[in-house]
Amino acid sequence: MNGQIAASLLPPAAVFLPLLGALAVVPLSRISTRGRAAGVIGVTVATAGVVLTMIPGVLGGTVYSAFVLKMAPNIWMRFAVDPLGMLFASTVAVLWLLAAVYSQGYMADEHKQNRYYIFFMLSLGWTLGVAFAANLFTLLVFYELFSILTYPLVIQEETPEALAAGTKYIIYILIGGSLLLPGVVLTYWLAGTQTLMQAGILTIDMTRVGLLAVFWCFMAGFGVKAAIMPLHGWVPDAHPAAPAPFSALLSGVMVAAGSFCMARVLLNVFGLELLKALGMLDYVGYLAAITVLLAAVLAISQDNLKRRLAYSTISQMAYVVLGLSLLGRLASEGALIHIANHAFMKGTLFLCAGIIIKKTGRHNISEMAGVAHRMPLTAAALTVAVLSMIGTPPLSGFVSKWYLGLGILQVQRPLYLVVLLGGALLAAVYLLPIVYTLYLKKAPQYEEDENEEGHSGGQPEPAHAGANPGPRRIPEAPWSMLGPTIAGAALTVALGVLAWVPGLPLSLAKLVAETLLK
Amino acid sequence: MEAHVAYSPLPALLVLFPIAATILIYPLGRRSEALRDWFATAVAGLTFAGAVWLIPIIAHSHRVACTVPLLIGHLTFLVDPFGMLFGLFTSFVWLLSTLYAGDYIRHEHKRNRYHTYSLALLGSNLGVVFAGDLITLYLFFEALGLLAYWVVVHAETSEAKAASIKYMWMTVIGGFLLVGGIFLTYGLGSSGLVAPFEIGEGAESLRWIAVSLLVLGFGVKAGMLPVHTWLPDAHPVAPTPGSALLSGVMIKAGAYGIFRVVCALFRPPIAEHYTEEMWHFTSELGYAVLWVGIATMFVGVVMALLQENAKRMLAYHSVSQMGFILTGLGAAGYLGPHAAMGVAGGLYHILNHALFKACLFLGVGAVFFRTGELNMYKLGGLWRKMPMTFLFTLIAALGITGVPLFNGFVSKCLIHHALVEAAELHELQALRVAEIVYIITCGGTACSFMKLIGFVFLGKAKQSYGKVKDAPPRMLVAMGGLAAAMAVFGMAPQLVLQGVMVPGLHAWGLHSAILDEFRLITAENLESVAIAFAIGATIFVVGVRFGLFHTHFPAWFSIDYWYERGAYGGLAACLEVGRLYQWWTRAVSAVLRAGRLWSASLATGRRRERLVWWFSLGHWYESGATALMALARAIGAAYQRWLAGGSVRLRALRGSYTTAVRRTRRRWRRIRVTLVTGAPALSRRGVIDRAYVAFDQERQATVREAVNAALQVTRGDSHSDDENRQAYLDAVRQIADYMAMRLFKERLAVIGDAVQQHPSERIEAAVEVGLPALARYRKPVVASALELAVPRQQGHTIVTRLSHAMNELLRQERYDMQLHELLAANATPDAGLVAARARRGMRNVVPRLERARDLGTERLTALERWGKWFVDVLRVIIEAATEERVPWMIEERVSRESIVATRGVMLRYGRDISLNVAVIIAVFLALLLAILATLR
Repeated sequence: MNGQIAASLLPPAAVFLPLLGALAVVPLSRISTRGRAAGVIGVTVATAGVVLTMIPGVLGGTVYSAFVLKMAPNIWMRFAVDPLGMLFASTVAVLWLLAAVYSQGYMADEHKQNRYYIFFMLSLGWTLGVAFAANLFTLLVFYELFSILTYPLVIQEETPEALAAGTKYIIYILIGGSLLLPGVVLTYWLAGTQTLMQAGILTIDMTRVGLLAVFWCFMAGFGVKAAIMPLHGWVPDAHPAAPAPFSALLSGVMVAAGSFCMARVLLNVFGLELLKALGMLDYVGYLAAITVLLAAVLAISQDNLKRRLAYSTISQMAYVVLGLSLLGRLASEGALIHIANHAFMKGTLFLCAGIIIKKTGRHNISEMAGVAHRMPLTAAALTVAVLSMIGTPPLSGFVSKWYLGLGILQVQRPLYLVVLLGGALLAAVYLLPIVYTLYLKKAPQYEEDENEEGHSGGQPEPAHAGANPGPRRIPEAPWSMLGPTIAGAALTVALGVLAWVPGLPLSLAKLVAETLLK
Repeated sequence: MEAHVAYSPLPALLVLFPIAATILIYPLGRRSEALRDWFATAVAGLTFAGAVWLIPIIAHSHRVACTVPLLIGHLTFLVDPFGMLFGLFTSFVWLLSTLYAGDYIRHEHKRNRYHTYSLALLGSNLGVVFAGDLITLYLFFEALGLLAYWVVVHAETSEAKAASIKYMWMTVIGGFLLVGGIFLTYGLGSSGLVAPFEIGEGAESLRWIAVSLLVLGFGVKAGMLPVHTWLPDAHPVAPTPGSALLSGVMIKAGAYGIFRVVCALFRPPIAEHYTEEMWHFTSELGYAVLWVGIATMFVGVVMALLQENAKRMLAYHSVSQMGFILTGLGAAGYLGPHAAMGVAGGLYHILNHALFKACLFLGVGAVFFRTGELNMYKLGGLWRKMPMTFLFTLIAALGITGVPLFNGFVSKCLIHHALVEAAELHELQALRVAEIVYIITCGGTACSFMKLIGFVFLGKAKQSYGKVKDAPPRMLVAMGGLAAAMAVFGMAPQLVLQGVMVPGLHAWGLHSAILDEFRLITAENLESVAIAFAIGATIFVVGVRFGLFHTHFPAWFSIDYWYERGAYGGLAACLEVGRLYQWWTRAVSAVLRAGRLWSASLATGRRRERLVWWFSLGHWYESGATALMALARAIGAAYQRWLAGGSVRLRALRGSYTTAVRRTRRRWRRIRVTLVTGAPALSRRGVIDRAYVAFDQERQATVREAVNAALQVTRGDSHSDDENRQAYLDAVRQIADYMAMRLFKERLAVIGDAVQQHPSERIEAAVEVGLPALARYRKPVVASALELAVPRQQGHTIVTRLSHAMNELLRQERYDMQLHELLAANATPDAGLVAARARRGMRNVVPRLERARDLGTERLTALERWGKWFVDVLRVIIEAATEERVPWMIEERVSRESIVATRGVMLRYGRDISLNVAVIIAVFLALLLAILATLR
């Protein structure tokens, strides 16, 4: 990095604040539910505040750094905040804040809430640790903690499906994680250092076999998290099983963590020249391209809403890997902002799905006909997210698509354009029907349950009455759930319309590309 | 050119102001509807005023630019004279449409929503035409496309929803094509500005792909063939001011995009010295666009001629007129540096089409507003009731058909000249053909609007309109404004040509001298209009006479059908992949589970025994033999199945082959007959006539039977006097007559429906077979007549009882079901029966034919005969033109006593008409020859 390194307490504060917050959950819950809610939201707000205050500095070229713990000679637990880490961390912090508020409404009548909130807060800490990790060792530690300790959140509902999904999840994650350790060790052995704060620590004059081993260990290990196609099996099971706010995080942060770590390793461990010389990234690109299309095709055949969204996540996150694999500046910018943009789009979608499922008890899209007339705000948020997902300007999804598209042509691979636009078209095919099922289809059954609440005389209903929420309508979700959902949609709009504003993901991604992809 | 760019925030303000104003619509609408309407009108008016304000700035410095920091970096707006032209007419039409909506929308729901999206659309549309770089263009183009979704879905009926879903998919896919094209344009080296850029060598195929994607992407919006299919669905369901905007203005955004692609993006840089090679690509591109335009205009007009729904017809005309525009723009590209005529023609036509199509939609909308009817064949004679609407619609129709002194004439002449110029450039014979198609399309357009004006406003009223009066004032003002603009641009074309085109062409470095030489009223131009109108009139007469306007193409003929099949096929393939994947995951997990079970059971004793058994040889021989046997059996079974399936398939193939052959023969025979005798090629009319006679005989028999029965009754009853008896008989006859008539009409209606769906021979056969069975319904008629005659004679009202009996009877009969069963059974009549009936029929016919001959022309002089013939033909044409298109004859027109005599007269007409048609064909051929001669 060419920026000056500034010792600062802010990165460890951001990481350990949620961990402390997790400790406070049980005592606070003894006082009252409201107290716990205030504690959880307060800590997430504080964490987000700490993370976001570092943005101006990071944009100015400062690297906030902190040595936390000496684990062994030459091996430190060290945090440092560079633009790439900041991009991920700010996404994580803000999305977690939305999920925290949403959880207050969603989890209100669920069991074992304390367990949920403890692990919820812990996960935030671990994830920020991943984002701020300054060396491979720190990265590995927090990545493993984060992976394994989210298991209780996946199985939160403790239904047989949830338990089965949890088993699958833990098997995939452990196998992936077990590949990372050899990768880290080999890197240390080859390079003698493991710091991540420079553009590449491995060089081409090291043994090729060793380099290849490191490359594939990291790719496969993080590929499990990033859900690259043969390694994606846990995603479509874990998402429907988990509670909605955590599904949003799973999609927006967990899977993105895999992509982020991949970017980290590719840009900071290998570096541009070595990757070009190694020539292995093309294969990763092919896999990602297949993942984009195949996952999207599979999403079409899903009727379960959350499952469809989960496949969509696989498809969308493969864009990130595809963009990284091209090694172009614009493509990398597109890939990196897609991490942030996708987090909010998909987060919003899962939050909407949570509301719909919670309020109607219906999990399948085909049963959701006409829901939009009962919950206009939820449906509107969902529509915004869907449009963004298929890349409609001026929403955030368009910004990612734009940079990816230009990036693909910058590196002279016009065929990937077919993948990019084909994936977006398939996204339209699996997402737009949700929207028009919600809005346009008639829902005969709903009339019955509404009749119980008192029919207002026998006069026939005009055809358009569906949209005005009269007293007979089942009310929208509480504001604790609706608020974060709408905020997510608003962020999706803002990240598109105001993409140029410094401090938002685009500026950070440009900074990353400027420094690491010269 | 860069020297002249002035910086002014006005373009950005014009774009953002209406969008920002939408925030106030809902609050205002809650308070007062009228206030909101005027607010929306005021916003549109201010926007128009702003666009007018652009004129002096553009006149001074030719280009105005500004940037707004939004999205990635910033949005660039850049207005040149062409953009200004678009901005002016967009905001003008929008202003009038909003004014019109104030009255029109009053009867619709969701009025706040309408005004909100209308204003947002105005902003987006201006954003498209003021866009200075590709990302801005794409942003507003997508916004326009997606917001227009609300226009289509507004009514929220099931048709509107279906149309809206189709529209949405086409827009979304069009957007993808467009963004793909934009990416490739960047990849080719564009800086993103809407301006020419240097293209490296060897990028030929990529360049073609980019251009095709861009043209297709814009073409979806523009209604270009073959991606126009959303248009005719969307327009009839959209609220009228919305369709006027959709058709008049919004699809122009697509044309604007194509214009910029052909004439700004993919052309050599603006420089003093051109070489022909530099223009090579643009020229080829223009040539392709030109042909797409020709195809679009022709197909559009053909489809328009076949429509009944006035809005649908106008929608197809939008497609056709976009073809004109594309032809002009294509010719511009083809002509390269000499593009002036094509650019001027295409853009002038865009302006004109915006005016007259908006006015036509508003006019038809006013008719719908008052009568609630959009089917042209069910209206008529409205000019008395709605004179002002008629006047404005007529002006618009004169405009669109290109009558001199109206605006369409100017642009059509310009495009025609551009075509001629293009044809002369490289002496391409194909472009001569294009020119002929062009003239014929002009003729079709003329014909189509003869239909619209003739069927809706002129002719006889086909329904009683009651309280229908002229449109409300605001609607009239809107239409009047458009009509006035049309007149202005028709009379003073130099206003646009010298005011916009010349500076615009200069700004883009094109020669504009040819426009100075352009003279509008020349013999050539007038001649081409006259030829077009002659063709139009011919098509009109022939079409009306032969019912060609009611032709329905088979389903596979429409592009939509193939799109739908493609879409569903793709979806099915995706689902199939999903299924395979699921199967695969299940298989994997089954294998895993089996492996786990197997490894778990390996330790137990039984498993060990089984292992030993597994390794013993005898077991393998045994199971091998069994497997071989099973394999052989399976092969045998499969072979059997294959044989059976094959024969079934063969039989089906043979069946469909013979059907096809028979159908082809039938068609060929009909064509031959038509060609030779000139008899109308409507064999179904024959079926209906024969069924008419048969049913009428049945009807008369029924009445006779009833009267006979009544006579029996009166004979047995000796108490009543003669007068009483006669009254009783009369009552019975009247009731029986009424009931039999109802049955008769019902049956004939069934036949009328059936001829639309089944071949005539089969219907004829089915009617023939079903005839004897009809006799059994005479009994109930007679019974009810006898029963009801008494109360009627006593002066009671029997309407209720009569209609009850009638309903009962109709329910019993259900002739449609009978006919359907007979058709399904593929019934053929007994030959003897037919012969007998024919004999009986002849006996009835022969004496009456004598009388028919008396009606003929024996004792007339030659001049009188010709005069009579001429008057007859004229009457037939007028009747055919004005009569309601019902598939059977209306009984009032046929004297009931002498159907057969009437048929005799008709036969004579047929003979005369054959001469008539021969003359028409001769005229037509002469016309074609004349066209060819003039073109050569």
